[in-house]
Amino acid sequence: MAMKMSSPLTIVFLVFILQQILFFSAMADEKFIKSICKSTPSYDLCLKTVLADPKSKDADLTGLALIVVDAVKVKGINTINYIKGLENSRPDLKTVLDYCTDVYNTSMTVDVPLAVTALSQGNPKFGEDGIADVTVESQACESTFGQYGQASPMTNVNQDMEDLANVARAMIRMLL
Amino acid sequence: MHMNLLDMNTFFFRSTFPLILLTLFHNIMTSSSDLENPLAASYAPLPDGELPAGNNPTIRRPRKAALFLVVSAFLVLALVALIAGNGPVLRKELNTEVAPPSTTSTPEKVTPLSRGVEKGVSEKSFRPLLGADNSYPWSSNMLDWQRTAFHFQPKKNWMNDPNGPVFYKGWYHLFYQYHPDAPVWGKIVWGHAVSKDLINWRHLPIAMETDQWYDEQGVWTGSATILPDGQLVVLYTGSTNESVQVQNLAYPADPSDPLLIKWVKYPGNPVLVPPPGIDTKDFRDPTTAWKTPEGKWRITIGSKINKTGISLVYDTEDFKTFELLDGLLHAVPGTGMWECVDFYPVSKQNENGLDTSVDGPGVKHVVKASMDDDRNDYYAIGTYDAHKGKWTPDNPTLDVGIGLRYDYGIYYASKTFYDQSKQRRVLWSWIKETDTEASDINKGWASLMGVPRTIVLDKKTQSNIIQWPVEEINRLRTNMTVFKNIVVEAGSIVPLSIPAASQLDIVAEFEIDEKTVNRLNGDDVGYDCVKNGGAAERGALGPFGFSVLATEGLKEHTPVYFYVAKGVDGNLQTFFCADQARSSTANDVDKSIYGSIVPVLKGEKLSMRILVDHSIVESFAQEGRTCITSRVYPTKTINNNARLFLFNNATATKVTASINVWQMNSAHI
Repeated sequence: MAMKMSSPLTIVFLVFILQQILFFSAMADEKFIKSICKSTPSYDLCLKTVLADPKSKDADLTGLALIVVDAVKVKGINTINYIKGLENSRPDLKTVLDYCTDVYNTSMTVDVPLAVTALSQGNPKFGEDGIADVTVESQACESTFGQYGQASPMTNVNQDMEDLANVARAMIRMLL
Repeated sequence: MHMNLLDMNTFFFRSTFPLILLTLFHNIMTSSSDLENPLAASYAPLPDGELPAGNNPTIRRPRKAALFLVVSAFLVLALVALIAGNGPVLRKELNTEVAPPSTTSTPEKVTPLSRGVEKGVSEKSFRPLLGADNSYPWSSNMLDWQRTAFHFQPKKNWMNDPNGPVFYKGWYHLFYQYHPDAPVWGKIVWGHAVSKDLINWRHLPIAMETDQWYDEQGVWTGSATILPDGQLVVLYTGSTNESVQVQNLAYPADPSDPLLIKWVKYPGNPVLVPPPGIDTKDFRDPTTAWKTPEGKWRITIGSKINKTGISLVYDTEDFKTFELLDGLLHAVPGTGMWECVDFYPVSKQNENGLDTSVDGPGVKHVVKASMDDDRNDYYAIGTYDAHKGKWTPDNPTLDVGIGLRYDYGIYYASKTFYDQSKQRRVLWSWIKETDTEASDINKGWASLMGVPRTIVLDKKTQSNIIQWPVEEINRLRTNMTVFKNIVVEAGSIVPLSIPAASQLDIVAEFEIDEKTVNRLNGDDVGYDCVKNGGAAERGALGPFGFSVLATEGLKEHTPVYFYVAKGVDGNLQTFFCADQARSSTANDVDKSIYGSIVPVLKGEKLSMRILVDHSIVESFAQEGRTCITSRVYPTKTINNNARLFLFNNATATKVTASINVWQMNSAHI
């Protein structure tokens, strides 16, 4: 082997191999996340939510689902705070806002931990039921305004919660 | 491969590190030869004219080649480490790839997320009830009423699958998945209760807790086997401290205690761990064992490979060491994970049940599995080859998971046992809540068991089983009211004045008018209980049946009905449905419609039986050919407000009904 003559060629060859390996691996986890998100009802929301969490880089499907479940929790907490704000500015809506606080509290204190436990335990169906309940609770909050003859002041907020919960649910279903 | 700008940035960014490394290594490689021969670099002239050591290729080449390989290997490893441990990459411009219309990335049985109106309707809940009036919040009156009078349920908190049902030393035992801390699933233990009659229960202490590493995350579902000498053994799934699903052996601490209060876990547990090729989270719910021709014991455990539901088979002589058979008992592609598999013989001629080990020419075998994907229990009838450990369905188009269901409503994780005292096969099932978690938390409990049912092969059709509430339930009947030959004209409703209509047993026969049927032209518009408009959608020959848990004026009511459709060929198809769309004015409860076609043979009258027990309604058509279990959560139809109506919402035919209604006493549950 004429080392002196071929060593620049060898370097180039090695670099080429390295670049290909790097290229493929960089594409691999993005491709994985994108393919998962394509199977949820809101591709853009899914992608945005997952990629905002650095853990998404190395996460398997369970890990990705847990990321979205965590985002559901964060959104739930923000929603509860939003409702608190509304209670000050809209005392006329107090009864329904109290109800909405109750149901969002349930979503955060019961549904989300249930989903996390179920996913870690390898019994994802209970997690699916938990996240499905988040959707029901936010829908119930929304429709209760109408039942009291009032216009909902938080339609977008409730819808956002529902959309995110549906993404989480779709991911959990992939684990079944 | 499409390579966008960001991807290029990504890999150029990442590749600079290895390039640096590469250059470094290359330097090392070239300088290593200097180290080997320090004098070569100086090229000091040698007295005898020898070439400097660095120029001797025969000695250096193998070493350099080896070094080259080692360094390359190291480089690749360093590369892999780099990729794995790389920091966050900026992805702000990641919308460059446009998503095509949503498709699933793996081929699988597609279960739509939402039915009906897509916006604002999820599968858990529900069809929004227009014009609902104020019914919030749930009062404790409303929630208290939901507790049942004669369905098994613990005093509080969460229950799911029935476990290890067995008749032992004069007592029926029921164990069950129990979460003692909250009305929601969690770290599960085995609850325990005993009964003399399957109806009145005595609650006992927890049978098994999560006290070992191999069931630390949950004492999950399992089954009991009674050995010929009367010994009782239990195999159950444990979720280990690392969430691996394993099978464990347990047995009574004192076999002479008929109440089986204390249990011992075999010190050598686990006796089974996930075999190669099976995921650590896809291995659960071992069955009751049955005898093989070789005299060994055989069990089956459900699992999946990708999206194919499968049933693994193990043989054992002592329940401590097992041999995995090469083949599967059965598998069906596209059905997903098989939970709570059940396998049992049914007699082709006789009306009694059979011990799980019975086999022979007069016997068919049933394979049942709970489908994780769609939360329903499916079964199929077929032939078991004991020598091969394989089972084949009689009708592959109605195979496990794609054919018949035990029940077309809420019914999951069911399990049978052979009751040797009455020679019957008895079916238990978990009936979950279909209200919100918030309500479950408020009322402090969640889930029921269905009324236990006997299972036999339908001798007339030979292609389905028949389920019927155990006859002991009839002992709760009281105050019978009989209605004979009531004629209900098309489009009319008849109130049946039955008090205490929250606890009822209704048995009825219906006849539609033959002349009307004959003069009708059929049509080929299909009917589907789930997708059509429920009891409010009128056809020529249906719907007709009962409205249970109804208010005066039907503000809330739950119709259970037949819908007969005449095809263009003149043949009749009969559907049996339960409609929850108007079951409650609350807007956070499930308002789906359940049901299925029911086979009606020539000469048979249409018959149905309905057990009403507060928030659960169990409906049976044609003596148990088609069954529907519903959960109902009314806000007004509670306490003494519940009514019963007979209705005929067909447009053409009149209906003649003969009915027996009993009020049901409460059991000790």
